[in-house]
Amino acid sequence: MSRTKSDKNGNTAKTELSVWTRAITANSEWPDKEEFLDVIYWSRQAIGIIVGIGWGLIPLKGFIGLLLFFLVNAGVMYVYFSNFQQVDEEEYGGPWELTKEGFVTSFAGFLICAGNLDNNIFRSSLRLIPI
Amino acid sequence: MWADTVLIVFISVCTALLGEGLTWLMVYRTEKYQKLKAEVEKQSKKLEKRKEAHGDSLDKQQKKKIEREEERLKNNNRDLSLVKMKSMFAIGFAFTALLSMFNSIFDGRVVARLPFTPISWIQGLSHRNLPGDDYMECSFIFLYILCTMSIRQNIQKLLGFAPSRTASKQSGSIFGPPPQQFK
Repeated sequence: MSRTKSDKNGNTAKTELSVWTRAITANSEWPDKEEFLDVIYWSRQAIGIIVGIGWGLIPLKGFIGLLLFFLVNAGVMYVYFSNFQQVDEEEYGGPWELTKEGFVTSFAGFLICAGNLDNNIFRSSLRLIPI
Repeated sequence: MWADTVLIVFISVCTALLGEGLTWLMVYRTEKYQKLKAEVEKQSKKLEKRKEAHGDSLDKQQKKKIEREEERLKNNNRDLSLVKMKSMFAIGFAFTALLSMFNSIFDGRVVARLPFTPISWIQGLSHRNLPGDDYMECSFIFLYILCTMSIRQNIQKLLGFAPSRTASKQSGSIFGPPPQQFK
């Protein structure tokens, strides 16, 4: 994914950072909008799975669990793109467009993880968490 | 229950891969599809750039130009859908048969436990053919739908078969009409 580009004179080699590096670096430049939207999409999938596992293990269920998932998912990504990366939201069609990017898929991932972990992996198999 | 869940996730990964493989064989690799896809993407990007460059300050001539391009894009999108449709039907039939087979295998079995009680109109699906009144118990079909929603789209994206955002934005989606229509 990492690409290297030299300037016309060839005196100094300017390194174009990989998507991974730019994703974890504050205020990175995103000349290709699709790349940034991909970062948002995959981050959201990761959040869905991580939060799903967390909620499944706690276990956090019901309306509160769902509400907290929506808040965490939207909140973390909002902080990421508006504070950490400081992108111009309007370039991407507004904060709503960025918030809904990959949301449904992430929610499905969350439900699968949260539901499956509540299937008592620890309780019935390892007996680590008291019922 | 745990083994069933893992099995269903595995089944949905396999069916997603199989579906994408078949679609690649029947659609994605064909020259017609590739040509149309490239054309749609090129036109969508061009249209988006033009709309961004001019913003709201458009004279009649430019408006007409954009309308013409939108019309061309719409036609290309329609052709693209037609190319996909035939194979989608074939794959749809095959997967319906597979689904009914799995449905009868997991019939009446609780395969997962949902982290919430679904609203009443989803309960028919999430608690289909399950005994008892514990609506947090999940049936095969509901878990399979969830898996498909999550896994299939991610696999499509990973393999690069997902439709481009620019194209879907220009052609509109089920959530609303395409933005900035010049009518």
